[in-house]
Amino acid sequence: MGCSPSKKVVRAKNATKRLRAVVRIQTWYRRYRANLEARRRCTWSIFQSLEYAGEQDQLKLHNFFNNMLDSLVSDGNSPAPLIRAFNVNKRASIYDTQSMRDSGGEMLQNLLEGMEVEPSYKGPHLTFPLTMNQLHKIVQSFRRKLTLHAKYTIQLLLEVRRILKTQGNIRYASTSLSKQVTVCGDIHGKLSDLYTIFHKNGLPSVNNPYIFNGDFVDRGQFSTEVVIVLFSCFVMNPNEVYLNRGNHEDHVMNLRYGFVKELQMKYKQHSRKVIHMFKDVFSWLPLATVVDDQIIVCHGGISDTTNLKTLAKIDRHRYMSTLQPPGECEDISTMDTQDLIEWKQVLDLLWSDPKPIDGCQPNTFRGGGSYFGPDITTSFLQQNKFKLLIRSHECKPEGFEYTHNGQVLTVFSASNYYEMGSNLGAFVRIQGAELECRVVQYMSTHSPTHRKVSFTQRINTVEKSAIQDLKEKILASKHKLLSEFKKCDLDNSGSISSSDWCCALETVLEIELPWRTLKSKIAKCDNNGDVQYETTFDELEVRHRYSGNGPSITETLYRHRENLETIFRLIDTDHS
Amino acid sequence: MAGTEEKDNADSLVADIHKKITEAFDLFDHESNKTVDVREVGTIIRSLGCVPSEAELHDMLHEIEEEEPTGYIRFEKFSIMMTKVLIERRYKPTPDDQILRAFQVLDTEGKGYLTVEELTKYMTEEGEAFNQEELEEMLSAAVNPDKGNIQYKDYVSEMSQEDT
Repeated sequence: MGCSPSKKVVRAKNATKRLRAVVRIQTWYRRYRANLEARRRCTWSIFQSLEYAGEQDQLKLHNFFNNMLDSLVSDGNSPAPLIRAFNVNKRASIYDTQSMRDSGGEMLQNLLEGMEVEPSYKGPHLTFPLTMNQLHKIVQSFRRKLTLHAKYTIQLLLEVRRILKTQGNIRYASTSLSKQVTVCGDIHGKLSDLYTIFHKNGLPSVNNPYIFNGDFVDRGQFSTEVVIVLFSCFVMNPNEVYLNRGNHEDHVMNLRYGFVKELQMKYKQHSRKVIHMFKDVFSWLPLATVVDDQIIVCHGGISDTTNLKTLAKIDRHRYMSTLQPPGECEDISTMDTQDLIEWKQVLDLLWSDPKPIDGCQPNTFRGGGSYFGPDITTSFLQQNKFKLLIRSHECKPEGFEYTHNGQVLTVFSASNYYEMGSNLGAFVRIQGAELECRVVQYMSTHSPTHRKVSFTQRINTVEKSAIQDLKEKILASKHKLLSEFKKCDLDNSGSISSSDWCCALETVLEIELPWRTLKSKIAKCDNNGDVQYETTFDELEVRHRYSGNGPSITETLYRHRENLETIFRLIDTDHS
Repeated sequence: MAGTEEKDNADSLVADIHKKITEAFDLFDHESNKTVDVREVGTIIRSLGCVPSEAELHDMLHEIEEEEPTGYIRFEKFSIMMTKVLIERRYKPTPDDQILRAFQVLDTEGKGYLTVEELTKYMTEEGEAFNQEELEEMLSAAVNPDKGNIQYKDYVSEMSQEDT
């Protein structure tokens, strides 16, 4: 028979009630997820802004240094040599290359003189030609946190140099034998990621060729180990391992971003020689690799003037650092046109970034290279009969990204680059006759007991780290910021409107970020939304004591801490 | 005097809202050309604190889409609509106690928890159904690892703490 009408009504009512409840929960959950997503992007933009602001500083270095010279007490014993060593041309922010040059054509072999291996050394003893067995020993010793002895490191580097010298600026890879080739992006000293790649994709060999697209070192803790493993693979398979130079295979960058510091720490009394060898070997790295005449792989990108014929003829060894004019050029104003053209070609290849807007502009974000648009890519690929440009240089949340209508593929192989959980790493397998690109993603975890972390926890961790980094930057400009805040605080209440607060931060720090959205994470707010601006500087341990006498030297020093370290390291390596 | 002060406050409120909208929009503007993918508009709106249902979202999109749907939403139209929504405080989020009650309604046997099957069925078969990804993510946080079910009272209070 069925239910009575009243039962039917009750059932209908219940169904509606249930439906409403379900929709409520679904809507509530979607709101939560959207919030997480927005926070994730916000965090990402903090990291990127801070990273590129740092790189841009590199080229603004000369301003700081001139200021510093002013406050240094002249000791009367000719400050001239010091000034000359750091003479920076007023037109461009570069160093005098005198301090960087090879000291009088020193025979590199002499580096090994007097370098005996102590009996207490527990690491592997290398003999050449290198074998797979020895590579395993090297990896094992790295696991035990040992450093490869300076003697063997230098011998390895000498061998790498010998082979690189026989290779052209642009290398040509073919998949006719192996039927595939793997491309890896930035590794930046993340040894665990390199191991993850080899674990997933196998070690390099005749049947398993690899292209490593630059930025092996700096930033991560294990740059030395990464580059030694890569170079070992290279000397064992010089025709199947392609090493492209990145903007971080560069002495000036290494001074600032950690590689030199790491070498000093790991090689101690021998570090000077090792650093010298790396400086030299990096300048011998090829600039690009072409696969089957169809896919070009280079670290940064291209510009509207990129010309492979010109690039092929350059003496790439002249560029110890791509941030400086080549070799013996002492002053940018005395460079001839040809040199300038060549320098720009190299800079563009290693420093450029693709942008969605057509055209080609100087890359002001980085301070070097260009921004190139889809039209530039199209015409470059057409001109050279390529079908794809693979590059790296920029961290991507998914480890890779296609842009310019699929004509550009960015691949970035350092997972957790900014922080645990910040991004995946990836590599690309190019396979088959059609040269299909298959991307493999991963995220390396450190501890074996690492439990699966929820998406929320990941966002929280990464966000906290980003805010911490941002706060450091804020603190470095505390004096300027406080004075800006106080200007807006007409009634001396300790609070200013959120617009004023956001405005002050943007003006003083010169970074574009969603300040309104970040406001509550950085400072305390009143009930009406106004910001208690002094709390902007809370919760961060001040490492130096603020003396309170105007823009203290401490503050200036702190703000340029990284710059300072670069300068002192420079003095150290060349005048010690 | 009071009149102008009020007007000033109103103006600065609108200016502030406008800036907030701009910031949220820019976060999703991948090509830096003042457009966003239409599929992300829901996320942007929600990140600004508004909680329209899918149906309401559909209506909002209809208002701001181009006549010839391009797959993109432009900033100007979005901003105008969103400013109104924020000033009128539409689509305010549901307070937590009501969410708790919603869970209780679904808990027809009054157990104090929901099984994974129950929640899955509701979320994916009724109302404005979740897709697989949404379901998996919700379950990954909602399921109590020791008990193997959804202790919804704990879940709701955890979520409200994490949601800043």
